[in-house]
Amino acid sequence: MSSFMWLWWQGYVTVCLRGAGIERVLNRAAQAGVAMVKVERVTSDAVLARMAAEDFRRLRPLLRESANGPRVSASILDRHGLPFLLRKFRRRLFLALGLGLAAAVVVYLSNFVWFIQVTGNETLAVEAIKAAVEDTGLRAGIPRRSMDTRSIERQLLEQLPDLAWVQVKNRGIKVEIQVMERDVEETSAQGAGHVYAKRDGLVTELLVLQGTAQIREGDTVRKDDLLISGMYYDRQGRRQFGAARGIVKARVWYQAVGEASLVRWEARKTGIRHRQYVLTIGPFSIPLGRSYPRETHQITKRSWQLYLGSAMAPLSWTRLDYEEVEWTAEGIPASEAERTAYELAWESLARQGVERDKILEEKRTVEPLTDADGIRVTVQVEVLEDIGQFLGQ
Amino acid sequence: MRPAVSQNLKRRFAQALDLPPSAVLDQAVVQIMGDGQVKIINHKGLVQYTTALVKLRSVQGMIEVGGSELEIASFSAQEITIRGRIVQVMLR
Repeated sequence: MSSFMWLWWQGYVTVCLRGAGIERVLNRAAQAGVAMVKVERVTSDAVLARMAAEDFRRLRPLLRESANGPRVSASILDRHGLPFLLRKFRRRLFLALGLGLAAAVVVYLSNFVWFIQVTGNETLAVEAIKAAVEDTGLRAGIPRRSMDTRSIERQLLEQLPDLAWVQVKNRGIKVEIQVMERDVEETSAQGAGHVYAKRDGLVTELLVLQGTAQIREGDTVRKDDLLISGMYYDRQGRRQFGAARGIVKARVWYQAVGEASLVRWEARKTGIRHRQYVLTIGPFSIPLGRSYPRETHQITKRSWQLYLGSAMAPLSWTRLDYEEVEWTAEGIPASEAERTAYELAWESLARQGVERDKILEEKRTVEPLTDADGIRVTVQVEVLEDIGQFLGQ
Repeated sequence: MRPAVSQNLKRRFAQALDLPPSAVLDQAVVQIMGDGQVKIINHKGLVQYTTALVKLRSVQGMIEVGGSELEIASFSAQEITIRGRIVQVMLR
């Protein structure tokens, strides 16, 4: 503990020494064992000095000793340190209680996790990682003791296969999640294995680069059938097992359905508006004002999240604007509905990986829906594609 | 002349036993830290203190610390620490 801290602990006074020959008094005090700190010359005949409160009593007789020479007077200007602080608090009991209570609350709240910070991600969105983190049970507001960092790391690696490494660090009220994403090359590394069919199809072309063909051109194959085996015989006639490679082109059929309504419901605003605020603290949401049903109201949401640096604090403020609407029905021509349903079916095909300019044949079936409020368009297409898929052993 | 003889003897004694002269001869040790602090150990009393000059007695003679905004950070019978903008330290 530094000397000044020790002085604060035992209580110290700021003394103003005034008169001529102050140096003599300081020397006498030092000889008598009175240590002084922060001795400042304020005017030509005045010096401020700090000393332990109990030493001030020992200073008095030393002043008297200098009565033969020039006179020096000493007066206390201020009192500092723990004993004086405690004396002050004795008079202001409730302030002391309040401070004690505030300290207890801070200590209690420090037992919980309040901030979660994710670092190291490059392609994965922070929101996706945070959603996975929440699934593990780690969220703002949980007790720190209930957190099992090893288990969270394991669960995150299971939930997010794109992650190669995760470290969860408990830093007081903040949890730091450091991640490292898997390299793309790492996942595409090939070992020994076979080529299987990834879809049903009619084989039209077969080219084996390595391995043994298990099918012939013209064969109909089903999904997961073995197409090219990784087993083969080398030039010396020895049986080998390696990575099967080859091209297996087949006619493949895709089907998708799109539906469209013959009636369009349009929302017309009545002009009546309401507003609601929601205060969210950790897992708790406190609505301020009434909420209105979504069926009859359009809702506009705006949120303000408190950030402390890059960490998200568990405090947010949301404003919800409700606009009352009335729904009116309007007929849609059958041709327009069919076009919409056809486009929806094609969107579905595109999601399956079908490209419009590569199809060999297309069939379209249009039928009304059972409730006659809409139509269904079924699109069947035939494409030529490589259905081979390598699976390592 | 007696003190000089005694000092001489003490110096020889310290040299013979390889002891630090400051401990045996009671000489002042002056430590200067940058231009902001001077610490003097084994001083023999404060003679003058102003914001521009601190004068101290020592076995070797008078030690003068000159500068501006000088303040005595700590003061005891053995040791004094002076802070401020130190310009010169002289032994007279």
